[in-house]
Amino acid sequence: MTYDVVVIGAGPNGLTTAALLAKKGRRVLVVERADEIGGHTRAVEFASGFRAPITDDAGWLSPSVTKALGLRDLKAVAPSASMSVAQGGADSDFLVLSTNPRTAADNIRKLSARDASRWPAFVERMNRFASVLADLYQLVPPDIDTTSIGELASLAGVARKLRGLGRDDMTEFLRVMPMPVQDLVDDMFENETLRSALASAALRDIRQGPRSAGTTFNLLHYMVGAPRGSVRARNWFADGPDAFATTVAGIARQHGAEIRTGAAVDAITVADYRVSGVRLSDGSEIAASVVVSTADPKRTLLDLVDTVWLDPEFTLAVSNIKLRGATAYVLFGVSSQMEDAERTFATPVSLTTDSVSLEKAADAAKYGEVSNEPHVELFCPTMRWPQLAPAGSHVVVARVQFAPYALKNAEWNDDRACALMNQVSARIAAVIPGFEESVVHRAVLTPRDVESKFGLTEGAVTQGELTLDQILFMRPVPSWGHYRMPVDGLLLGGAGAHPGPGVLGGAGYLAARAVLRGS
Amino acid sequence: MSPATQRYDAIIIGGGHNGLVAAAYLAKAGKKTLVLERRHVLGGAAVTEEMHPGFKFSVFSYVVSLLRPEIIRDLDLPAHGLQILPLESTVTPLDNGDYLAGWADPDETRREYYRHSPADAEAAIRFGHLMHHMAMAVKPILGMVPPDPASLSPADLKGLLKLGKHFRSLGADKFHELYKLMTMSSADYLDEWYEFDPLKATKSASGIIGTFLGPRSPGSAYVLLHHYMGEIDGAFRAWGFQKGGTGAISNSIANAARAFGAEIRTEAGVEHVIVRGETATGVVLANGDEIYAPLVVSSLDPRLTFTRLINPTLLPDDLVEGVRRYKFRGSSGKVNLALDGLPDFTCLKGDRELTLRALRGAFSISPSVEYLERAYDDAKYGQFSRHPYMDIVIPSMIDPGMAPPGKHVMSIFVQYAPHNVTDGWNDAKREAFGNAVIKTLSRYAPNIESLILHKQVLTPHDIERITGLSEGNIFQGELALHQLFFLRPVPEWAKYRTPLHGYWQCGAGTHPGGGIMGASGRLAAQEILRAS
Repeated sequence: MTYDVVVIGAGPNGLTTAALLAKKGRRVLVVERADEIGGHTRAVEFASGFRAPITDDAGWLSPSVTKALGLRDLKAVAPSASMSVAQGGADSDFLVLSTNPRTAADNIRKLSARDASRWPAFVERMNRFASVLADLYQLVPPDIDTTSIGELASLAGVARKLRGLGRDDMTEFLRVMPMPVQDLVDDMFENETLRSALASAALRDIRQGPRSAGTTFNLLHYMVGAPRGSVRARNWFADGPDAFATTVAGIARQHGAEIRTGAAVDAITVADYRVSGVRLSDGSEIAASVVVSTADPKRTLLDLVDTVWLDPEFTLAVSNIKLRGATAYVLFGVSSQMEDAERTFATPVSLTTDSVSLEKAADAAKYGEVSNEPHVELFCPTMRWPQLAPAGSHVVVARVQFAPYALKNAEWNDDRACALMNQVSARIAAVIPGFEESVVHRAVLTPRDVESKFGLTEGAVTQGELTLDQILFMRPVPSWGHYRMPVDGLLLGGAGAHPGPGVLGGAGYLAARAVLRGS
Repeated sequence: MSPATQRYDAIIIGGGHNGLVAAAYLAKAGKKTLVLERRHVLGGAAVTEEMHPGFKFSVFSYVVSLLRPEIIRDLDLPAHGLQILPLESTVTPLDNGDYLAGWADPDETRREYYRHSPADAEAAIRFGHLMHHMAMAVKPILGMVPPDPASLSPADLKGLLKLGKHFRSLGADKFHELYKLMTMSSADYLDEWYEFDPLKATKSASGIIGTFLGPRSPGSAYVLLHHYMGEIDGAFRAWGFQKGGTGAISNSIANAARAFGAEIRTEAGVEHVIVRGETATGVVLANGDEIYAPLVVSSLDPRLTFTRLINPTLLPDDLVEGVRRYKFRGSSGKVNLALDGLPDFTCLKGDRELTLRALRGAFSISPSVEYLERAYDDAKYGQFSRHPYMDIVIPSMIDPGMAPPGKHVMSIFVQYAPHNVTDGWNDAKREAFGNAVIKTLSRYAPNIESLILHKQVLTPHDIERITGLSEGNIFQGELALHQLFFLRPVPEWAKYRTPLHGYWQCGAGTHPGGGIMGASGRLAAQEILRAS
């Protein structure tokens, strides 16, 4: 059997590429190192009968991807709230940021009448800003030397959209994009709990604190495609955390694509500056003239490709990509005994009630240390998908920032991982009464574990930190934002390429289009 | 005409360097121009004062590089006293007792870098070229009135087109590099080039000066570039002393302005601007005098320009809100010392020749990136840095007129001293801050304490009190991406105009802002002349 295209990785991006190319008649093989498909959306079994996805946010499913794949029967559910903040204290009250702006404003009013009155206009404006990004995220990122008529035309569309915001909104959009989220929330709101909620959303999977310029962009990035009124939560799929991957895999197979799991790629083979295929870890070689890798850019270009085929300047640029995984996960199996679980975990819960704590947590990471008091967010996947735990039980995932991949003068080991787990458990116990007593299983995933389990270099689910210098035409590296890499026939189609993480099949779709255009 | 009701074509509020530059250009164009300065000395933050008998200090701003060459040329400043003496070196004492030096001679610098890291010596050549290109790429932007991207007016569209053409003409590689400098942290940017940490620290220090950012804060690379944009005689990144202190720069501009016919008054603080309807018609001085002119130009910072000199209720809400959220955040202090002799920096190991050379240049207390970052962390949470970054110069080494024979003046720029220090600044805290500076310096020059004849400690609070700069920010507002170009100081009001007819802004709070550059004053004057 020979193939036209080998796709590396069976996550949302890889499967999207595979399905789109298969639909166009290409003979496609997807190779996936894990035993299951789904990439980082797949649930990890951490105790018998308990499974947890590491993300509460499957990502945004764009109209372009939906249309190109012909997706119909993927049942999406809109969240009722973006998040909540556990305020601790005797009555363990929660600030719930409902997606209905008026309900959210009512909740905020208990903390600040002024902030409540500002909320609806603020969230609507942010939604409008995110919708400009949404347009950009369905295009090949325009660059300064763009000359292709098609790209210029689509760019003109984005420019029209930007101008369509009106003078005030357009200026404000350009002003806030590079801002530290701290300045944004300080200018807008007076209540510290509300400020911290927004700031925490802006820190998702980056190694930065809220006072870092560009964190507002990160906030907007994860708002793309979120339902109106939401500052981060996007629709989720009723059939499971990996429903998108499963569905798209079905489409791919239906059009003749082959998906091989448990097949790790050792090398992308090159002959005469052209891709010739891949070599698997069992030594077998598969020939193909096109390879689309959805592994991160460093793994793809520095590990899988022999760098003798690459220009040293290019190799240097790739090695300069900042991955900087700094998120750890503590996974809990919770017995049915826990009272009030439904109320507590109805929405992702942040345990941080002030933005200074977020900044201090990020400070530690700058020096290669785990935060003394990390930012912890809880998410209960079994509220959406009861099948992930035995009947009546729950799975709770704690996202923990900051636990940097690279520790100063130290390595991650079991002791450190265990210490982190205990620290996080104690933190939750202090804020959520009854939680600790109900825990029946615990496990921890440090960035090292994320790296080995998901094949993500430095444990970075972003495949490249979403900072201003690593987005749009700068992603994955400047001048190579067009999916085609400098080795003929090699394309990058993962989150390391534009539009980055959190856009289901976003990069995979654009990479597939690049393959089709090029042949 | 009675002195209480004189008439001028233009009144400039504030005799800092930007105000004086604007005055000189307006006077040169034939406008009868009056400059009003509140203090007894001209220069704003670029003043020379004798703080101790026989000892002259560049009290605030102490080195120069950014002053635009076209201003020097247009105003013929050398004829009026401008004389820049080059600053020859920067020496960073290291924690291991050694030092790292950068010299005026690039080959000597490379040999020195090679001692610490051969790779860095190599990289320095390419880095220098790149920074030169980047400064060239930014140069046209410094000289243009920022177009408003949200506007559809022909002038703005033309400006945007010009800007777009400029960026395209750079080519993709240089454009991407510029983009990186605009968005990255100086530490991350330098990590791509260098490996020797004290070298990265010393270079990244340029990215934090005057800014409430640490070397790892995104945006600091732009401030780094801002400090590379200076030219002296066509050479970028050259810094120097003005003979007689930075006040002599202000005086040379003032002399040029006077030569073109401008009148300059000191101890003439403006109480407020007179507004009739929607038109500014003059000013009222602190002593009650009224002076009228169809053009009133404020070189003060945006907060003072829009909310103190005039009643903000006269302005659109958007503008007032924009000024309210405009970030000043003074983050630096200054310690000026009158010294009985020369400090003995132990890293120079008593090498007399080396010492005499090094003392003619700057000393940078920046032993590691982490040192600077931790200094920033202190400030973030409302404390002055316990172990601050310092940029130290001894102007009397090059310009003997600054101190009596055998004696010296030392200028220490210190970061971080946050304006909003917890519980506010007071005498005790100023004293403690000064002591932290001297104590840190003693680690590198143990004899410093015994040499001190006089000590002046300036916190951001003092800088504000003396110069009027809000929150003591030396750039009239942070050089952050969201406060640059068409957003400086406030969207829609970045072209030196204000909503009041006849009322203009020309301070560093407008594009391109910051440093003894004079570009804001020049661009403002040109806009005023174009409009009238």
